Amino acid sequence: MADALLHGAVAALKPLGLNYAFVLDAGERAAFLRGMGVTLELCIAVIPGSLAVGVALAAALTSGRAWLALPARAFVEVTRNTPTLVQLYCAFLVLNMLITQQFRQFGAGNPLTPFVWVFIVVSLHKGAFHAEALRAGIQAVPPAMLEAARSLGFGRAHLLWRIELPLALRFALPSLVNNVVDLVKMTAVASAIAVGDVTYESIMIWTNRDNVLELLLLILLYFGLLTWAVARAGRWLEGRLRMPGYGQ
Amino acid sequence: MPSVDEPLVSLDDVHLSFGDNEVLKGISLQVRRGQSVSIIGPSGSGKSTLLRCITGLIRPQRGEIRVGGTRVDQLRSEAEFIALRRRVGFVFQQYNLFPHLSVLDNLLIAPTLVAGRDRAEARREALALLDKVRLLHKQDAWPGELSGGQQQRVAIARALAMRPELMLFDEVTSALDPEMVGEVLHVIRELAAEGLSCVLVTHEMRFAEEVSDEVVFTEAGRVVEHGPAARVFHAPTSERTRAFLNRSLDPSRAPVLPQRPVELAGMRFAI
Amino acid sequence: MNPSMTALEHLWQWSPALLRGMGANIGISLLAVALGTLAGLLVGAASMSHATVLQHATRLWVQLFRNAPVLVLIYFTTYVFPFEIGPAVWRLPFPDWLKVVLGLALPTSANVAEIFRGAVQSIPSAQWEAAQSLAMRRAQVFRVVILPQCLRRMLPPWMNLYASIAMSTSLASLVGVHDLVDTAQIASNTVARTDFTVLVYGAILALFFAYCYPIARFTQALEKRHAFR
Repeated sequence: MADALLHGAVAALKPLGLNYAFVLDAGERAAFLRGMGVTLELCIAVIPGSLAVGVALAAALTSGRAWLALPARAFVEVTRNTPTLVQLYCAFLVLNMLITQQFRQFGAGNPLTPFVWVFIVVSLHKGAFHAEALRAGIQAVPPAMLEAARSLGFGRAHLLWRIELPLALRFALPSLVNNVVDLVKMTAVASAIAVGDVTYESIMIWTNRDNVLELLLLILLYFGLLTWAVARAGRWLEGRLRMPGYGQ
Repeated sequence: MPSVDEPLVSLDDVHLSFGDNEVLKGISLQVRRGQSVSIIGPSGSGKSTLLRCITGLIRPQRGEIRVGGTRVDQLRSEAEFIALRRRVGFVFQQYNLFPHLSVLDNLLIAPTLVAGRDRAEARREALALLDKVRLLHKQDAWPGELSGGQQQRVAIARALAMRPELMLFDEVTSALDPEMVGEVLHVIRELAAEGLSCVLVTHEMRFAEEVSDEVVFTEAGRVVEHGPAARVFHAPTSERTRAFLNRSLDPSRAPVLPQRPVELAGMRFAI
Repeated sequence: MNPSMTALEHLWQWSPALLRGMGANIGISLLAVALGTLAGLLVGAASMSHATVLQHATRLWVQLFRNAPVLVLIYFTTYVFPFEIGPAVWRLPFPDWLKVVLGLALPTSANVAEIFRGAVQSIPSAQWEAAQSLAMRRAQVFRVVILPQCLRRMLPPWMNLYASIAMSTSLASLVGVHDLVDTAQIASNTVARTDFTVLVYGAILALFFAYCYPIARFTQALEKRHAFR
């Protein structure tokens, strides 16, 4: 049944000049679907990963202690002002190579796969952007609000968790959602170090079949779907965390 | 336990500077239980700073501050400050309601979180307070959806929800449009009549006269004059008090102050 | 290759090639942003017209090129576009770097359109009303009152966009352009020494940082100055 549908679809697209024959080949079809799965896995992994990094960095940046804030600031500036691809190469080609050499001395294999490296690098990279958004959010909390809470007898911990952070999150939310949309798109860079994401599998297929346009269209549709899903989730979250009438 | 005769609040020679700027230059005043005291004076005379000292939000460099037996100026740990602030309510000029919580949640958060009260009981009390300030129908509204006067009334209810012994009002009508001032003053009038001990910093002279047992006039960080409201407003002993009241009171209304007649070229003039 | 050279000496030897590669990145970024900005202003202007068709078309353009990964767009312009352009008589080779320029110009135009629209919408309507009450026509209001204020507001986000595109030029190495990253890979494979590999990748990281960080700081300074107006 599904097979007949696929044949029909491929035949329908042929007159448009689009060659989707690869879909009919079980091996290539499976590879492409696998790639879609890997991309999805990456997205699901890096979203919380980058947010965790962002929260930790934001805490360090606003801690008021120089030994925490200065290294955090240096890390954020270097990560935000250098390309993700170069960071990925530095991590994978350089760091990973050094780690593999160390492991070889002990006669063991390097457990860190390219997937893990993409997860680490992209989480750290976007974490820096999240940190800036959160830091701006924290600084946007009006001091008068904190004074009001203190005058009601709030202790420091309650002040942070019930007033300062909820408000900072609401202020930072639009930026954070934008960052996550960027994050989804950034996973495509995984193909550069042969992680089998949807981009990489597509490259494998089009190298054989020379149907670049067709595959790019599919990839665009897939990423469009993912970014749409993230934007929807973001809008839902913004609705849940709304502050009606604020700022008027 | 402090006796009924001992003042609820007493400040003794309080000095406070922000850096090089000395804002309070030796303030002494007392508030008895059940009394309302208004503090009036020109901007920059340190009135708001004074209120913040009483609740420990700012610390003076010198002087003693007592609130019901507690030496506020000697408090050190966070727990001690929290214990004080549970007994002192503060209402700000800019209301400062928490925008991410509904009106009812604004009233519930401190009693449940800070005072550890049972949520159902706190809710009953909160609804009663909202009814008292005539905003029961807005319990599920968000602060941003309310007018300034409504927000300020919620702010008063929020402070009252902690069952404080003392209420401090910091120019609570200064940020409001004129037509909303009345509704807030009405609430404060009722509270004072019920015997709530309060200290008000205000520019509303007529209101201060009506509601206060005692009025304190401060200028440039010092107490210039204090006494019963009727005397300070109608027969001030200090020239500076007179000058301030002249400047502040609406000249288009009938003068509250008796004129001092001046004789000049055989004719009497009122100045 | 002299085996007794230190890694640093190797780096020194490769530096002209690396700098040439960096030049390729910078050149691509400048051209891509120039083209993309022109296109983006047109798209942005079109998006604010009253014609529904234009509104839909521009919205589609913006959504498409903002939601697509930059790498995919680069692959698109590199592999889908013909190798040569022009009619049969004179055929011009369509070099790879130019294809990358076009690939980067597409998301630039989408972002510039959004920045432009955002800037125009951020001008308070009171400005429109004031200008119109002085009997100015819509086009005049735009030219004399709105656009000058827009350009000031657009500058910081536009500079952020440029920095982002400059960093994205590194993706050109994946389609065979001899940029900085590609040169580093070739150098690393040629010298084939661990310490040199560490050094050369560290060097290209530093080079990108040296280019993009000043831009970011300048943008921050611009934003601060604008905030006080």
